[in-house]
Amino acid sequence: MEIYLPIAEMSVHWLILLGMGGAIGFLSGLFGVGGGFLLTPLLIFYGVPAEVAVATTASHITASSISGALAQWRRRLLDLKMGSVMAAGGLGGTVFGVWLFTLMRRYGQMDLLVSSSYVILLGTIGGLMLNESLAALRARRGGAGPAKRAPHLWMHGLPFKMRFRESRLYISVIPPIIIGFGVGVLSAIMGVGGGFVVVPAMIYLLRMPTNVVMGTSLFQIIVVTAATTVLQATTNYSVDIVLALFLILGGVIGAQIGVRTGERLHGEQLRLLLALTVLAVAVKLFFGLVLRPDDPFSVSTGGP
Amino acid sequence: MRFVVLTTAALLVATPAGASEDLVSGLSQDTVEITSNYTGTDIVVFGAIERPEEVGSNDIVVVVRGPTADMTVRQKEWVAGIWINHDQAKLVAMPTFYYLASTRTLDHIAPAFTLERYALGLDNIAPTRIVSHHDPEPFRQALIRHKQAEGVYGEVPGGVELLSPTLFRARIPVAATVTPGQYNVDVYLLRDGTVISAQSTPLYIQQTGLERRLYNLAHVEPLWYGVLTVLMASLLGWLSAAAFRRNE
Repeated sequence: MEIYLPIAEMSVHWLILLGMGGAIGFLSGLFGVGGGFLLTPLLIFYGVPAEVAVATTASHITASSISGALAQWRRRLLDLKMGSVMAAGGLGGTVFGVWLFTLMRRYGQMDLLVSSSYVILLGTIGGLMLNESLAALRARRGGAGPAKRAPHLWMHGLPFKMRFRESRLYISVIPPIIIGFGVGVLSAIMGVGGGFVVVPAMIYLLRMPTNVVMGTSLFQIIVVTAATTVLQATTNYSVDIVLALFLILGGVIGAQIGVRTGERLHGEQLRLLLALTVLAVAVKLFFGLVLRPDDPFSVSTGGP
Repeated sequence: MRFVVLTTAALLVATPAGASEDLVSGLSQDTVEITSNYTGTDIVVFGAIERPEEVGSNDIVVVVRGPTADMTVRQKEWVAGIWINHDQAKLVAMPTFYYLASTRTLDHIAPAFTLERYALGLDNIAPTRIVSHHDPEPFRQALIRHKQAEGVYGEVPGGVELLSPTLFRARIPVAATVTPGQYNVDVYLLRDGTVISAQSTPLYIQQTGLERRLYNLAHVEPLWYGVLTVLMASLLGWLSAAAFRRNE
């Protein structure tokens, strides 16, 4: 049965919506990322207007992150203090991002901004993670011990130090706030939770222990995407609650399966899988930017 | 008394001039309700030509026009290795829906100036104004091409069936992506290239039920709508986690 989406103003079969939500939810649970970087392009490709896709994906990520997070939090795999500091930065970033989103839409450069941000971010992070996980897999096969303790980074010398007990860290709050802010901007303009930035940033920049990274990143993502949903609804009227409902129903189930699947896989294999997925999306978007489009013209209702 | 006189006058004005003599037409439905399982529908326009003395040269053109909106068309250009939106044109007050059905191809029915005067045919859809620094014609054509692909613009010669010398029927597809609002169904009777009668009937396309309420809420109380969406998302996320926990 087809379902009419009141904000997107289109009809879509409910099984397709459930399927898309489920697939993205599965990845969300598996990797501890929101999956928005896949869901947003998927919805746009399916014909959902870009601003509706970006804004509605945020609420889908809220739900699947809560579902995934509760599974993590029950096992106390969460640094609430770190999550709160990053979420505070994230709220500021969201406000700035929604403002930027509205501005770029007015000038017709939304597509360019979104695609090129995706290519740069996903390409860089995917490449770094691929490199890292391949090195880790080689080390394991060679029988080498765990990686050496990370060198002291310059950012750990910044002021306003705070103790994060669960992460076994004593660091400045400035790097987590900046990371949170950046992710808030991404959430608003790209319709992503930002897990693909937060997770590597926590591991490689903040040096948080891997076991609390997922629970903490999910906490931060929940706060930021909830704020994005409300801000997009009040600024651009582009949140489709019916679309969100069906994506979420598929997503929460997929997320539970993802978390359980993740428990049976090794961390290195997980990271390799995530790196490959991220790189594939980046390459596809890159070709979209450089290849001659089938039709150079595009139409939007309304105007500058 | 004055009220009665005014009402009678209004009724007289509302009757289309000439329609009583040459042309009568009607719609299979005067309202289309967009509900949760709306996937598009067909409107049937039917009617009769009265006094068809010169049978061979009668032609019927049916045009359905939707509410207008400003539309922006952008053209991508190759700049520094990537394709970015460069030139643009804003077309003011273009119809969001335009579907024309006729008994024959338009150029056989009437000369170009008549088609232009009554805005008949995709070539004659024009905005009231175009804001652009460039030749606007390619932008207008691109818009029409896009709207045709979307299924909201169309021109079908032969789309009006003559069931007998006097009776005609046309089927107008109303796609799932149509903009709600007031539509006008215009039926033209042409004889030897001249419009001799025309009739206009309104068609209302509206979102109803839950869809309408959600749409209104999103635009009238966006803050509550946003909060409601977040609450729904949180509840569903929590419920699923709780449900799966019990199964462990």
